[in-house]
Amino acid sequence: MLALEHVSYRYAGAPRPSLHEIDVALADGEVLGVVGASGAGKTTLCLVASGLAPRTVGGSLSGRLLLDAGDVAGWPIHRLAGTVAIAFANPATQLSGVTGTVYEEVAFGPMNLGLPRDEIIERCASALEQLAIADLADRHPARLSGGQQQLVALAGMLAMRPRHLVLDEPTAQLDPAGTALVAAALSRLVAGGASILLTEHKTDLLARLCSRVAVLDGGRVAFEGPAVVVLSDPRLAELGVTPPAADRLRQAASEADLAAATLQRVDEALAG
Amino acid sequence: MTDLRLEGLTYRYPAGSVMALREVDLAIGSGQRVAIIGQNGSGKSTLVRHLNGLLRPTSGRVRHDGEDVAHRTVAQLARSVGLVFQDPERQIFSGSVAAEVEFGPRNLGLRGAALQDAVSEALARVGLEAARRTNPYDLGQSGRKLLTLASVLAMRTPVLVLDEPTTGQDRRGTEIVRRVVATASAEGRTVIAISHDMEFVASTFDRVVVLGEGRVVLDGTPAEVFAEGAWEMLRATNLEPPLPALIGARLGVGATPTIEALVGALRA
Amino acid sequence: MVIGGVLGPLLLAGVAVILPALVARVLGRLLRTSLLLSLPIAVSVLVVNLFFYPGGATVLLQLGPITATAEGLAFAVEVLARIMAISGAITLFYLTTPPGELVIDLERRGVSPRLAFVVNASAQTVPAMVERAAAITDAQRARGLDTQGSLWRRIRGVVPLAGPMLLGSLAEVEERTMALEARGFTRPGRRTLLWSPPDRGIERLARWALVASIPALIVLRAMGALG
Repeated sequence: MLALEHVSYRYAGAPRPSLHEIDVALADGEVLGVVGASGAGKTTLCLVASGLAPRTVGGSLSGRLLLDAGDVAGWPIHRLAGTVAIAFANPATQLSGVTGTVYEEVAFGPMNLGLPRDEIIERCASALEQLAIADLADRHPARLSGGQQQLVALAGMLAMRPRHLVLDEPTAQLDPAGTALVAAALSRLVAGGASILLTEHKTDLLARLCSRVAVLDGGRVAFEGPAVVVLSDPRLAELGVTPPAADRLRQAASEADLAAATLQRVDEALAG
Repeated sequence: MTDLRLEGLTYRYPAGSVMALREVDLAIGSGQRVAIIGQNGSGKSTLVRHLNGLLRPTSGRVRHDGEDVAHRTVAQLARSVGLVFQDPERQIFSGSVAAEVEFGPRNLGLRGAALQDAVSEALARVGLEAARRTNPYDLGQSGRKLLTLASVLAMRTPVLVLDEPTTGQDRRGTEIVRRVVATASAEGRTVIAISHDMEFVASTFDRVVVLGEGRVVLDGTPAEVFAEGAWEMLRATNLEPPLPALIGARLGVGATPTIEALVGALRA
Repeated sequence: MVIGGVLGPLLLAGVAVILPALVARVLGRLLRTSLLLSLPIAVSVLVVNLFFYPGGATVLLQLGPITATAEGLAFAVEVLARIMAISGAITLFYLTTPPGELVIDLERRGVSPRLAFVVNASAQTVPAMVERAAAITDAQRARGLDTQGSLWRRIRGVVPLAGPMLLGSLAEVEERTMALEARGFTRPGRRTLLWSPPDRGIERLARWALVASIPALIVLRAMGALG
C-alpha cells in the first residue's frame, strides 16, 4: 500500500503549492494512471510518492506519505529506496554514469544497499530476465537506444525489489519503437502483479495498462475512477488531456449522427 | 519564397561506415507542408541538416531556388531555412524568454522596432507573450519547447523545419504547434517536420515522406501513405499507421488517415 | 651524496620495473613509452652535464669555447639512470592498472564510495559532453550564429555556445541526483563490491619487499656500498 493523505507540497521558493490536499492511494498489485496538463502536478506527485520530495528536492510537505509500514515522514531517502523505486522520462540522466556494462548498472542500486554478493547476483539475473534484456548485459549503457536505456533504468529499479514503482512519463522522450519496448515490459510487470503509479500523456498506453486513472488539475485531483470510465470522460479535453484515439473516434462518430448500425460496426472494428 | 531540391543526395558520417543517406531525390515546392517519418536511424535528422548547410553532401546537390548552396555558409542559409531542434536544453542560454527569442533575428541583422516586432509576433504565436520576462528554466518542459519554436519563428524564414515538435508536449502544446504550422503555411512558408506522432502527421501535413535506411520508400499524401496497400512497407520500417487508417480499412471505407476523414467516409 | 652511482638505480629498475614488466608482458611497450616520456629531460640533462659539469677535467670533445668532459658524462649517466628508473615505474603503473580497477581497489580499502563515484563519473562524462557541445553548436548555427567570421564575432559566440552547456548540465544535476538517491547512493557506510582486483600472496609479498627495500637502500648508500 502506498498512499498520499491530504498532501500539499510547495517547492522551495515557489509562491504557491504545487499539490493541494491530494488524496491518492495505490493498492498492492494495482496500476494507477495519472494524467493532466503540463504543470498540473504529475511530476510533483511522483516525487512525493517516492519520498524525493521533500527529502532530496527540498520544499515543504504537509499531510502524510503512508507506506505499508505507516507514516514514513522520518525515513531518510536511502531507507525508502528499497520500498519505492522511481523512473523518469529522460533515459540518459537515470544511468549512474559510472558503469561500463548493463549488468553493473543494474547492480548499482543493490550494491549501494550493501546487500550480500550472492543476493545481488540473483537480483540482477532476475531483473534482466523480467524485462527480457539479458542479452544486453554486456553492452555499455551509454551506447544503447533511448528505449533500451529506459529498460535498463527499469531493471535497475526492479533490482531494488521495491514494493511500488513510480514512473513519471517513462515514454515521453522515446520514439514508437522505444515506447513499444517499454510498454511490453510494463505489461509483463503488470501481469506479474506489480504496483505501479504511472503518469503519461499517452492515454492510449494508460488505457492498455491501468486499472484506475486519476486526473490532476492545478495540483488537485479533479476526478478519478476505473480507467475505462475516466478515459472516456468528456471533461478530459478541457483539462488538457487528449483522450485515447479509440475514445475520440467513438466520440466523433456518435457526434456525427451516424446510423446506429454504423456505430456498431465502428465499435466492433475497434474491439478487433 | 524558396523551392528546395535534393539531387542524388548521399551522405556518410565521417566516423561511420554506413551510408546515412543514399541517393535521395526530393523536391519540396514553396509553401508545402511536408512530414518526414521513419524509424530511428533512417536518416531523417541527417536529411534536414542538409537543408541549412549544417551537413554537406558526400555526393549530390542541395538547391535553393535552383541554386546549388554548397558555397553558402550556415549563417547565410539561416536566412532561408529555420531549423528548430528537439532539445531545448541544448539551445537556451538567456535569462529571459524575450532575450532568448531575440537571438535569432538579431543574428540576421534585425534591430530596434523591427526586432521587437518579430519577437512579439513569435511569442504571441506560441502563447508565451505573457512570459516575456520569465526565466526559461522557470517554464515547464512544454513551455521551453514552445520557446525554441518561437526563437526560430522570429527569424521569419521562408522555410521552417521542425524536429519532433510534439514529442513530450501536452495537448495544449500540440494544439499550438498545429496552429503555428497552419499559420506559417497560410503565409506561404514551407513547413517541414520530422515526427513520429502519426496522428499529428496525418492531420497537419499534406505530404508525407517515409525514409527507410537512408532512402525515400514512400512519398505521397497522408491518405496514400497510410492506405492499406502501403502498410507492409510502413511496417517494414517499424512504423504503424494511425488508428483511423486501420479502422477505415477494417470497415472497407477506403483510405482514412484521420478521424475526420473516417467519419466523413462513414457518413457518405 | 644523493646522486651517486649507477648500480643502485639500475638494480631497482631491474627488479622493480623490468622484471614485473616481463611478467606482465608489457616490456616492449614499457621501454618505448618510458623512453619517449623521458626523452626531453634526458636530452637536456645530457647536454647540460656533458658540457657544463663543474670540475670536469678529462676532455672528450672541444667545440669552440665549450668542452665536453668525461666527468660530466659520468654524472649525466648517473642522473639518467635515476630518471629512467622513475619513468619506467610510472609507465609500468600506467600500463598495468586500468583506472576502474584502481578505483575499486581503493574503495575496497576504505576510500569513500562517493569519491570513487566522482572519479569514475568524470571519465564517462567526456564523450557525452562532446556530443552535447556538437548539438549546441548545430542549434545555435541554425539560428544564425556565425562560427566562421572574424575573431570578434567568434568571441561573441562564446555565451550562446557555453551557456547551454553550463545551464543544461546544471539542469541535469537535479535529475541525476534524484536518480542516484532513489537508488540508495546516500546510504552511509560501505557498499558491496561485486568484484575487486585479485591480490595474490606473491604480489603482496613483492609490494612489502619493495617498501622494505627503501630504508635498506638508503643505508647501503650511506655506507657507500653502492658506489
